[in-house]
Amino acid sequence: MELKVGVVGCGNIFNLAHRNALRAMEGVRVVACMDVIGERADEGARAFKARAFTNLDEFLDLDTDVVEVLTPTYTHAEIAVKALKAGKHVIVEKPIALTVEEGQRMIRTAEKEDLHLLVGHVRRFDKRWVQMKEIIRKRNILPMHIRKSEVQYLPFPADYWYWDEGRSGGVAVDLGVHVTDFLRWFFGSEPVSVYAVGKAIREEARANGTFDHFVMMISFEGEKTGIAEVSWAYPYPARYGVFYHQVDVMGKNGRIRYTPLDTPVVGVAKANFEMPRFSPLLSTFPDAFERELRHFFNVIKGREEPLITAEDALIALKIAEKAKESARSGEVVEV
Amino acid sequence: MRKLNFGIISYAHPHALRFASQIAGGKNTKLVAVSGDGSNTDVARAEARKYGARFYESYEELLRDENVEAVYIAIETYRHREVAVRAAEEGKHILLEKPIALNLKDADEVIKSAKKAGVKLMLPFNPRFTDPLRKAKEMLDTGEIGVLEYVNAISENVKPPIFLQGLDMSWFLDERKSGGGGFMDTAPHGVDSLLWLTGDVPKKVYADIGAKIYGFPVDDIGTAVLEFRKGVLAVLTAGWGNPKGYSYGVEMKYYLVGSEGFLDVRTAYPDFTVYQERAEKVYWDRPDVRGIVESFARAVLRDEEVPISGELAKKNLAIVLAAYESSRKGKPVKLDL
Repeated sequence: MELKVGVVGCGNIFNLAHRNALRAMEGVRVVACMDVIGERADEGARAFKARAFTNLDEFLDLDTDVVEVLTPTYTHAEIAVKALKAGKHVIVEKPIALTVEEGQRMIRTAEKEDLHLLVGHVRRFDKRWVQMKEIIRKRNILPMHIRKSEVQYLPFPADYWYWDEGRSGGVAVDLGVHVTDFLRWFFGSEPVSVYAVGKAIREEARANGTFDHFVMMISFEGEKTGIAEVSWAYPYPARYGVFYHQVDVMGKNGRIRYTPLDTPVVGVAKANFEMPRFSPLLSTFPDAFERELRHFFNVIKGREEPLITAEDALIALKIAEKAKESARSGEVVEV
Repeated sequence: MRKLNFGIISYAHPHALRFASQIAGGKNTKLVAVSGDGSNTDVARAEARKYGARFYESYEELLRDENVEAVYIAIETYRHREVAVRAAEEGKHILLEKPIALNLKDADEVIKSAKKAGVKLMLPFNPRFTDPLRKAKEMLDTGEIGVLEYVNAISENVKPPIFLQGLDMSWFLDERKSGGGGFMDTAPHGVDSLLWLTGDVPKKVYADIGAKIYGFPVDDIGTAVLEFRKGVLAVLTAGWGNPKGYSYGVEMKYYLVGSEGFLDVRTAYPDFTVYQERAEKVYWDRPDVRGIVESFARAVLRDEEVPISGELAKKNLAIVLAAYESSRKGKPVKLDL
């Protein structure tokens, strides 16, 4: 059984991750690439000998089994709902949608159409975190306190959609959902309340009236505490790499820590010091996307149960949304 | 400069071991007397013998020794007020272990009595006497990383009782004596660093502190989100979260995010332990402890200001207590410092 796949959105995440992952995939064939920018659609289509589209309806008229939605966040809901109504299974990049309400609409539509809606929370397929989670289970670490940071210096100008909270949700949502899902996944508990503080450090953030640095303290059931730090304003020089994760898991039976700042990296020292990266933008390893997509396609084929559901993605977004509410009001907000 | 004659009151707090070694070997300090009040009187007696200092059973006797000009007080926290006030009354300059007292009222009393007696009062917060943090402060002050925006501070110690042989540290697990557990023990260091680095005070704190790891009757880990008046945001994690196998004993770390740069600062100078038939911790001449003792002695001998005053230590305590309050109530707490 071969799945016919159509891709919507041939921008950053497509070029950095999904294109190569899809090319490595067995049992699927990319038959169409759509982008509002014709050049991008053509370029994407060329990689797969697929058809290029700039019109969504024409793209959806084509006979496909699965649509991958890799567009900016604010368009997720509209495109996903349309695709589901056109009878396609949908794989959508994280965050599931711009708002919880939109996410709920997507989930309802998928249920009604009896189709799969799968959200690309790639952290759950990153070997580092998968193995860490496995050790937590095997050694019965019983995490009580987890700090997770995902920070970078967002390499886009002020007019780019990421900086517009009405299009990306801001850093609290865009990076935030990665961390809120991570914490919930690691604790295996549900969130209770959140307190958050946001800052606008860079000019790009101030000009857009959004935050670029955001701290959440999330209480989970069972007196567990998660601390999420996300930032687009970390002034890392290139030698530090561009994207940083830090994890500190403290449990009743031990502690696990991950921080590239403490760990020697493979570096190149010549006139200056460089840390070679596979990509200047990506926060995970290419094989994580491969594992994610292979799993999603197997779910669609009925061979595997989803490791992360659309409801999980929705809760991750809900925590981030409540955190934004807390940052505005200065009070603790129930989740 | 002549040498300042020191007395040590109590070995209840294990820091007495490292301060004794520093005071006895100091350039301008001399250890002349030790008193055995509080826990670990036997250790105090042995230390007095080791350093050739006079030993007194009670601190009252030590305070009446005219040869003693200054005291380092390492008695259980709940007795800080009582002992510090008496020391001031006897005209002794005071280096008082942190936290300054159990509550703000007691802190006030300590501060007032030192002022009234005209003696110096200083609190020993180590990190600002470490070279890495001093360098970081210098870089901040010269604008090297632009405007300081965010600090992630970690002040973590190992699981108590710290593996010191023959020391009774059970009072750390009794809130009435210590004022709190791991957070009370280690957060004051991080708070002092934040006050010093920002030159500012927080206006709001939200914290989660609890007995989460070991099942002790007191808290073992806590995290506080601190919003400073002039805009710096800080997250401080403090407690006893380092398991035995952890490669650091005490871990003091700071990630400083400025508008134009980033500093990754680690300040702890680890002691080392010699393992043979028994384990022995070795207190080398650590620059931070030396810095504390020397700056205190200098302030006394030259009649200058101490670098960390009672008032600052009281603010520090107010912040830590506000963090506990926030954690109890599950709500942020406003501060007016």
